[in-house]
Amino acid sequence: MSDLVKVMIDDREVEVPKGTGLVETAASAGIEIPVFCYEPRLGAPIGACRMCLVEVEGLPKLQAGCTLTAQDGMVVKTAASSEKAAEGQNATLEFILVNHPLDCPVCDKGGECPLQDLTFRYGPGNTRMSFSKITLEKPIPVSPLIALDRERCILCYRCTRFSSDVAEDNQLVARNRGSHTEISTFESDPYRAPFSGNVIELCPVGALTSTQYRFEARPWEIQNVPTVCGLCPVGCNVNATVREGKVKRILSRNHPEVDGGWLCDKGRFTYPHLTAEDRITEPLVRGKLGLEPVGWDAALDRAEELLRGAGTRIVTALSGSESVEQAYALARLLRVGLGAHAAVLPESTSDALDAFRLPLSSIASAEIVVIVGDDEVADRAPVVDLWLRAARRNGAEIVHYGPTGTEQTGPGGAAAALHALTESGNGPGDRLRSAERAILIWSGGGGGGGARLAETAHALGLEGKPGSGAFHLPATPNGRGVAAAWAAAADEDESNPEPIGLLIVSGDEAAADPAVRVLAERAENVIAITMFHALAVGWADLVLPATSSLESDGTLLNLEGRLQRLRRTVIAPVPDELAWLSNLAGRFDVELSPHAVVVFDELSARAFGGVDGSELNGTASLPARTPYEAPVPAAEVRAAASAKPSDEHFLGELRLLRYRPLFSGPFVERVGELAFQRPTAELELSTEDATRRAIATGDSVVVRSNGTSIELRARINRGLIAGVARVADEHAADLHLHVEVVKL
Amino acid sequence: MSALYEEIQEIRARYPESLSAVMPALQLAQERSGGWLPEEAFREVADALDLTPAYCLSIASFYDMFRLEPVGEHMIEVCTNISCGLNGAQQVVEAFESELGMRAGETTGAFSLRTVECLGGCGWATIVAVNNRHRLNVQAGDVAGIVAELRGTGRGEG
Amino acid sequence: MTAPRPEVVFAGTNGGTLTEIAAYEAVGGFEALVKSRALSPDEVIAELNASNLRGRGGAFFPTGRKWSFVPKPDKIDKPHYLVINADESEPGTFKDREIMLRVPFRFLEGCLIAAHAIESQHVFVYIRGEYEAEFDVLESALEQMRAKDLLGEVTIVLHRGAGAYICGEETALLESLEGRRGQPRTKPPFPAIAGLYASPTAVNNVESITSATTVMEIGGAEYAKLGVENSTGTRVFSLSGNVVTGGNYELPHGFPLRDLINDLGGGIADGRSLKAVIPGGSSTVVLTADEANRVTLDFDSLVGAGTAIGSAAVIALDDRCCMVQLAVRVSQFYEHESCGKCTPCRVGTKWLTSILQKIEDGRGTQADMDLLVSVAERINGKCLCPLGDSDAIAVMSYFDKFRDEFQAHVDEGGCPFHGTSSLDHLLAPVAMHVHNEAVAHA
Ligand SMILES: Cc1cc2nc3c(=O)[nH]c(=O)nc-3n(C[C@H](O)[C@H](O)[C@H](O)COP(=O)(O)O)c2cc1C
Ligand code: SF4
Ligand code: FES
Repeated sequence: MSDLVKVMIDDREVEVPKGTGLVETAASAGIEIPVFCYEPRLGAPIGACRMCLVEVEGLPKLQAGCTLTAQDGMVVKTAASSEKAAEGQNATLEFILVNHPLDCPVCDKGGECPLQDLTFRYGPGNTRMSFSKITLEKPIPVSPLIALDRERCILCYRCTRFSSDVAEDNQLVARNRGSHTEISTFESDPYRAPFSGNVIELCPVGALTSTQYRFEARPWEIQNVPTVCGLCPVGCNVNATVREGKVKRILSRNHPEVDGGWLCDKGRFTYPHLTAEDRITEPLVRGKLGLEPVGWDAALDRAEELLRGAGTRIVTALSGSESVEQAYALARLLRVGLGAHAAVLPESTSDALDAFRLPLSSIASAEIVVIVGDDEVADRAPVVDLWLRAARRNGAEIVHYGPTGTEQTGPGGAAAALHALTESGNGPGDRLRSAERAILIWSGGGGGGGARLAETAHALGLEGKPGSGAFHLPATPNGRGVAAAWAAAADEDESNPEPIGLLIVSGDEAAADPAVRVLAERAENVIAITMFHALAVGWADLVLPATSSLESDGTLLNLEGRLQRLRRTVIAPVPDELAWLSNLAGRFDVELSPHAVVVFDELSARAFGGVDGSELNGTASLPARTPYEAPVPAAEVRAAASAKPSDEHFLGELRLLRYRPLFSGPFVERVGELAFQRPTAELELSTEDATRRAIATGDSVVVRSNGTSIELRARINRGLIAGVARVADEHAADLHLHVEVVKL
Repeated sequence: MSALYEEIQEIRARYPESLSAVMPALQLAQERSGGWLPEEAFREVADALDLTPAYCLSIASFYDMFRLEPVGEHMIEVCTNISCGLNGAQQVVEAFESELGMRAGETTGAFSLRTVECLGGCGWATIVAVNNRHRLNVQAGDVAGIVAELRGTGRGEG
Repeated sequence: MTAPRPEVVFAGTNGGTLTEIAAYEAVGGFEALVKSRALSPDEVIAELNASNLRGRGGAFFPTGRKWSFVPKPDKIDKPHYLVINADESEPGTFKDREIMLRVPFRFLEGCLIAAHAIESQHVFVYIRGEYEAEFDVLESALEQMRAKDLLGEVTIVLHRGAGAYICGEETALLESLEGRRGQPRTKPPFPAIAGLYASPTAVNNVESITSATTVMEIGGAEYAKLGVENSTGTRVFSLSGNVVTGGNYELPHGFPLRDLINDLGGGIADGRSLKAVIPGGSSTVVLTADEANRVTLDFDSLVGAGTAIGSAAVIALDDRCCMVQLAVRVSQFYEHESCGKCTPCRVGTKWLTSILQKIEDGRGTQADMDLLVSVAERINGKCLCPLGDSDAIAVMSYFDKFRDEFQAHVDEGGCPFHGTSSLDHLLAPVAMHVHNEAVAHA
């Protein structure tokens, strides 16, 4: 433990660990040191705004409290007890307000604005500024998601520090100098980066606002409902701001171990999918004219009919975004009620990794992190990318084996690299072994859902070190929870029916998955449980409307192995899945509660060691590690095409590396403001391959494989291994594993 | 690979951390782009140093000697800080304005005229920098001659 | 008439330059380096301490002590850096430029001595971008030294600034050298512990380093005999303003200010009379003619007169200078050069300029006079670095010492000089990077 020191603040004695920030020290005694620029999550204090001025005994000048740390015997006076400090803070506010437009009545931040609050508490009551304020063009679109009102900006540099020092995207910067300084992107380029939206929450005034939220609500009309984000396996803790039954914005609800208070733009800005134009609000059955709306009773009768008709010859394709309760309910109905055990499960995570469990936040204090896999971390589990950047800033060695990694391996070559880590004389492997805090991360398909990773971690002895561990970044938000729920519902083994009597497609990701589409061609009937028309038409015989994770109570199991609570933030326009699943289950003599908490209790006893659901509220904790057990070799399910290793390398041909970008999928596609974040139709090439073909960034190229050919824009990626052509999934069409790339 | 890219790699090698190369790289790019930094120059420098154009802009716009708009072939800068001011700098500025038919801060044709802060030649006021070479003890009466001389020469030594 | 004028910095130049290595060697060049390298780092530092050489960049901090703050390599296992501040931008100051032009080798020799003292192998010279000729001279000198293998293990990199006064402030300089916007850092940590690339760093002014060469050449005790107590050695004073012969004058500390202006500077030009003197660069408190006649050019005397020796830039103002116009122009300078990081400096300097301009234009009221004082007080002592404070201090000194002149502007509804002031209508720089900004013509 660190030494405790005694500090006197406003005649109150406070004891804190030495080195505690003075702002925190004061706060622990219930004393406020007001701040604007200070935000410990952005790194070391910069002392820019001068809001935090305090008097320190022995120092003639006022000091920026935010830059001080507690020292034994320090005597500090804040504005509450020092006239000089009060005068200093009043001065700072007067300066800040010199150019501020004071347009609070029409400002989105009004009512939840630190500048308003601090002016009320510390500021001057009138203005002595008789010159015209600086007027500027406003609002400026920083991107389709963010508007900037430069007149309101107080130049605290929180946003730019986030961009340069946390996300390290360096897209939002300060330009010019002195009083001409302004926040800006480059020319007309938008702030295009995975975490841009955080600057809105960081801005202490209404300078950076969300275009989605602009003029949508006043702070006293809203409610913030705590839940977790259901869009990736991290499960960032969020608040959904709700007004009149509609989600109006998503804010971070800092879970220090999971997300550190950051959100990616997918989690923050995708909520308008709830009100997408093609949202399905009533059941649909296939009639003569295509899909036709029917009442719920008729729909459930039809579902029962289809289920009875198919019996055990049912295959269920799950998305991996269902709550564990939904997946369990579906599994109970099908497996217990009908004996239909066949399922296409999302990529899961091996239980063997539980021996290496640790909070994501420990990545930041690692000495060495080795990432293995074909995929960029940010595409699979975005916030993990921020933890990795924090680790690098803290001095960690970060090694990435992959086609775009620091140690380049060809597509699918990561497995060999992982294996090599355990061989003697392997540099990173030796350092993993000797470090106190070593972390392994699997970022890609294949690898047995982290089973191979667990074996490596075991071989390196990581389970014995509390600061060391291993993470598998699965492809879906709740793949592990869904698989666990499915498994817990019954004991029988699955058998693959042929032909398939009925294909049940659960959720939009499954509905959008080409592999599931292929399966449907072999099915006599299809029931689709989906939110959107476009995903239902053309193949479903019965469509049951789905809800979003923002609309249902439930539980998700994240990639750390942490169970977290989903809350219903708004009432869905359709009944909850559990409601009609319980009804249907009853028709097959399966008892199933329509309430998530009850379902969870039943499931928890079977799959999660009986953990009490009420403990998952607030910020959920991480279960303890379990002893290491060697993984049973598991079947690799629905692994990404890119993960299929191959040694063939035809002369003049490139291996196609498909990747699934963060900004993709049915929800993102339905949010117009996110369109600019989606990947462009481009093909990435290594410098070597580009030079050989005389291709420059920006050139149009034709990509050919086995009779298919598409045109893409080329981009040289200096970090990409030679011999590979990297293309976002959605732009790779039907291209095969090997492609020929020719300049147009 | 462009020549600029290669030259920037050389500059980069001089420093323990490559970020330090951003100023010299921008200086080089400006020299290569006719004395100012067009959008493309920012993109090239950013690419050569693994930075973003926005970052490079944030740097360039902080410093007065980077130009974000086109400049004339001859950049004339008159110091109007205290010591030059006390010794007739304003008259020198006005003489340039009338001789060139433009106001300080403007660029027309081959000339850009600027007033600048102290150039570090106060004892020899007024200081006029022509294409960054300093002329000492300039008086309003000298201006016509300077302009005539520049009109007769190309770019380069002022 | 005047005291003797020993040459230390410019020794051996005979009024000319020593830019060829042979010429420099002929006057004993590099002997100090050889001597220093034969000593341990601590012995070099002890010599500096004996000399009581203090920083010539403005803060007058003892150079030997600064070096001794840099931890020994076994304490902090990171490269150590020596960074030379050749950003000289304080209005009125132009001494470092002449040092680099005329005695580049003495300066570079000092760099190598300092590098030896702090056990550094990496020297960066941050030279202001406007000093192109000086850059060329240094580059040529370095080339000549390399040819003679004088650098040993040490690399010296010349890094050009790009026009920002604030980069003379040592932490802003380090930020700039690291490739960031030149904005000052909060201290602690101090550069000696975490400076360039968060590694131990000494930052020294060109003249300090050049003087260190002499200290090692003649010995600390000998050096300390020059000048006066607390202000040893010589100093290159930059004299400018309304004098007949401005320029740099190397003088021992303790030299009477009056003699610098009248004897060396040839007195006030055009037969006018001395009104005031800015003794140490634009950021220092102004002296009235009376005060100026009483002080000597050293730390104690100037502090005693309520001002500072600063960068040793003496600006003489004659009776044609309107003090309100001076205040406007000085405030415009600080406004233009404010880095924009902290609120009081960014906003306050601009506000101060506006109030001063209003008074100068004859639109000022008594309330504006009070506001001027209040805003200056609200800037002073609240900023992140001394830049904003400097504006407030300089302007307040004009106001305090020439209050009648300010008052006359308010009372007469206009400038009492009626267009005859030497600074009349002086045009400040037009903000460089701001589009469509109205040109600030008066
Ligand atoms: C606003 C500001 C500008 C400065 N400009 C310079 C400068 O141009 N040259 C310089 O040597 N020191 C300048 N300084 C002082 C430096 O911060 C630093 O004290 C000095 O370089 C240390 O060197 P020395 O100890 O050898 O004097 C400036 C300080 C401030 C606050
Ligand atoms: S936009 Fe907001 S966060 Fe950014 S500097 Fe201005 S006030 Fe601070
Ligand atoms: S909060 Fe301390 S200076 Fe901004």
